Amino acid sequence: MVTLGHFLLLAGLLMAIGLYGVLTRRNLIAVLMSVEILLNAAALAFASAAAFRDPHLFAGQVFALFIIVVAAAELSIGFAILLNVYRTHGAVSDDAIGEMRG
Amino acid sequence: MSLTAFYALAAFTLVFALFAVTTANMVRAAFSLAVTFFLIAGLYLLLGSPALAAVQFMVNASAIPIMTLFIIMMTQSRRSAAPRSWQVGVGFLAAAVALVFFRSAVVHGEGRVAPVSPEALGTNLLQAALLPFEVASVLLLLAMVGAIVLARRRAG
Repeated sequence: MVTLGHFLLLAGLLMAIGLYGVLTRRNLIAVLMSVEILLNAAALAFASAAAFRDPHLFAGQVFALFIIVVAAAELSIGFAILLNVYRTHGAVSDDAIGEMRG
Repeated sequence: MSLTAFYALAAFTLVFALFAVTTANMVRAAFSLAVTFFLIAGLYLLLGSPALAAVQFMVNASAIPIMTLFIIMMTQSRRSAAPRSWQVGVGFLAAAVALVFFRSAVVHGEGRVAPVSPEALGTNLLQAALLPFEVASVLLLLAMVGAIVLARRRAG
């Protein structure tokens, strides 16, 4: 029998993987991809909590839906910024944008 | 809800997510991300909400990997450099801390899922959650216009 704990554990593991990716990736596109994994883990946690605990108030499903919307908006703006980074610096790696370093 | 299907989907999800954050080949990472999100759509089906599964399939498993592939090609970043050694340590540490926090969230309880029909979810979205729904559409419009303005080549 699959319980809510199974799904929450999976969401936690996905979140750990995404966090590892955010901190270790050096290409900024890959960092944004890791952020996507983080957001999907959160959406999965919301949806599973809704399905097991509260299926008729819809709050969890609606939250998961809005997380997907916000993720899409964040990613499109992030990619547009990275395109500008590429035009001004010639690369989208983290050592290409180090001029703010003290 | 079958335990076998859950374990199969969960194992493949974790494997592909791990591959997406570790491989040096960015194109493979983008495709692996697409497969991860596709499998998460399967998990939404297991959770009895086909509407979420459809949105996940159309947005996260199709549109976002295509956009990622476009940006990978446009910025000529086929490969991601290997992480610095201190980054790997910090990454493992942060992942371990996150898992410790999540350990307390693992609850034991009944394993019964009540399916939610897309009609009910849509009705709720347009009645109880109408204001957030409209705000989300304005946010998407802003993101679209903002992305076009940011990515446009300056004339001259």
